[in-house]
Amino acid sequence: MAEKNLTPEQFVDKVMAEKNLTPEQFVDKFKDEFKTNIKDVKIKRRAAGSKKNETASIWMKVDKSAFKKVIEHLCKLQFPHLAVASGNDLGKTIELIYHFTVNFGKRMEEINLHISVELPKSKPEIETICDWIPGALITEREKMEMLGVKIIGIPDDRRCFLPDDFPKDVYPWRRDEKGLEKLYKNLHEVKK
Amino acid sequence: MKFTMLPSVFAQMFKKPWTNKFPAKYAPANTTKFLADVGAGKAKLIPPIETPPNFRGKIAYDKEKCIGCELCLKVCPCGAIEFKEKEKKIKIYLARCCFCSQCNDICPSKCLSMSDEFLLADVDPYSKDLIVE
Amino acid sequence: MSPKATTKTTYHIPVGPIHPALKEPVLFEFEIDGERIVDVDVKLGHVHRAVEWASRKRNPIQILYLAERICGICSYCHPAAFALAVEDAADIVIPERAEYLRVIQGEWERVTSHILWAGVAAHEIGFDTVLFLTWQIRERALDLTEFLTGNRITKGIIMIGGIRRDITADMLPRIQKDLDYFKECYGKLGKIFLEDKTIKLRSQGVGILEKEDALKLCAVGPTTRASGVKKDVRVDTSYFAYGDLDINCITPADLTGTITGDVYDRIIQRLLEVKQSIDLIEQCVDKMPGGDIVAEPKIAKLLNQLKKVNGEGVGRHEAPRGEVIHYVKLDGNDAPFTWKVRAPTYNNILPWIPMLKGEQIADIPIVAASTDPCMSCTNRVGIVKDGNKYELTKEQLHKMCVEKTRRLM
Repeated sequence: MAEKNLTPEQFVDKVMAEKNLTPEQFVDKFKDEFKTNIKDVKIKRRAAGSKKNETASIWMKVDKSAFKKVIEHLCKLQFPHLAVASGNDLGKTIELIYHFTVNFGKRMEEINLHISVELPKSKPEIETICDWIPGALITEREKMEMLGVKIIGIPDDRRCFLPDDFPKDVYPWRRDEKGLEKLYKNLHEVKK
Repeated sequence: MKFTMLPSVFAQMFKKPWTNKFPAKYAPANTTKFLADVGAGKAKLIPPIETPPNFRGKIAYDKEKCIGCELCLKVCPCGAIEFKEKEKKIKIYLARCCFCSQCNDICPSKCLSMSDEFLLADVDPYSKDLIVE
Repeated sequence: MSPKATTKTTYHIPVGPIHPALKEPVLFEFEIDGERIVDVDVKLGHVHRAVEWASRKRNPIQILYLAERICGICSYCHPAAFALAVEDAADIVIPERAEYLRVIQGEWERVTSHILWAGVAAHEIGFDTVLFLTWQIRERALDLTEFLTGNRITKGIIMIGGIRRDITADMLPRIQKDLDYFKECYGKLGKIFLEDKTIKLRSQGVGILEKEDALKLCAVGPTTRASGVKKDVRVDTSYFAYGDLDINCITPADLTGTITGDVYDRIIQRLLEVKQSIDLIEQCVDKMPGGDIVAEPKIAKLLNQLKKVNGEGVGRHEAPRGEVIHYVKLDGNDAPFTWKVRAPTYNNILPWIPMLKGEQIADIPIVAASTDPCMSCTNRVGIVKDGNKYELTKEQLHKMCVEKTRRLM
């Protein structure tokens, strides 16, 4: 568990403290620390309603080697809210995208932060973030069973959504030979 | 002891129940005999509540207006529409239809509409009543 | 939470890929000492239906209806979040009137869902009279939904780029009449839930979720707001028309002044949100601008436009149970490359563990129901006691919960 020396009240206060960063300042805080390990940063703004208030989203790509340190830096800066982690099978690599949000609590100040990591298919391993963010357990288990990613250090590595008798080397979200094509049965042929 | 629900419970004893007793007040002992009685005029069916306007019931298909463009097949989420190649018209299987009325919206010649019929239960999914063509 | 040295074998009946609405089995495994729970383990996945995989053969308009059938109660928020994600990826600008209409439909769904929850929570305690009262009120709400959208539950009202049906001026008197009826019912329900001695006895001090746990476990929705964490997508970001409306984040401190994070606080939280929703609908009806209701009325043209898009988008919406997030990646084909759905209950499962430790077995239904899971709590509960294994079914668990109420009275 992170921050062992903080009492619950101090932890809560710390989360609520640093909430005045704009998206550009946020990106700078990461770029200063990690320089070339952060690539392809895009800041998108989307307007809605009659008054056209905008919500900002930051998309960034992070190197696999620096991933754990980036998460540690983010948690120390301001404890985020992890929504979910989604995954893509891109042929030779597997891409994991972690969707965070920061700055919650104040009116229209929230920033969406999407951090994506690419893992080679020959060695799809990544470190767990459960020791910093305990709420990531279920989404990490889901990635393990759906994409075949090995998450190092996860406290609980059982299957989450698939039944226990599902074949072991089949990963439903993949699009290669380890995908679901063999198990697919065309059940809804309409009888004419 | 404060029993906050008691006033409502007492008031309910004097109010009419909310349920509309469709089709009959009590379940008939013999359904076929009951339906025969209704046909002969001896028993009465309590009607269901009126559907609101723009209710999405059974699909009505105007065959003359259809131009055979196959756009409705593209948007049907259930795969309930089949194209008849030779006639260039469609056939809709109500057993698979989910009544979303997306086919109504996309049709360029406006030949599909939703009626307010909803009593569509049947034993066989491919019976004549459940196929629209 | 990890399996200990005792061998636990649990028996569950596979309910199969078909989903009977509102009931989804979740397997709990408890270790108990006397009547107190010492450790909890949660198992999921009994109703996994491969919805995301089914999207690989469908175009975005068909996926709207597939998304609607993910859940019966939250049947508006999944298409709404999906439409937001596609509009984010394709940079579609939505007309203003459509955004206000979307808010009205979303808030009305929230009112329906919270009233349903109030009935279910009362049923878990054993207070069936309130169940019948709340579900009678809900019938009136569903009648209005049928009038506005054409159907009671699967509304089918969201379209990518806007909304499918307009609210014309002649519909407004009926909406106003129903809103007045609901304000009156809200007063009645508030008195029943907050002043009744039975409900207070059963729910105060039970199932406490601390603020730090709620933050660390990333809980969402009324569960986390009742513990004092101010996370609400409608307040934090500007989507639909929420940026124009007067809204602020509600916590139980608005009514009672203190926040404990127990079941009673969650009841207060949801009742206050019903009031907030009715207020928001009235604001929308007053401020509604004129204009189109959809960005691209010709659907064939919209499908061609989406086929040319190459990008990713994320859509977030505040459902009655919490934050729904959808991620869509479009790559130039008919069907999207990836579609990831995350329903709000999946983030609210881990908080069950700190909530249930130290409670009695008979409190399990009310604590689990207080987080408003979009699945009914356990189909089977497997218990290990003194090395013997036996199981409690849902009916026995419910009976134990009702008997505890009788003992307290």
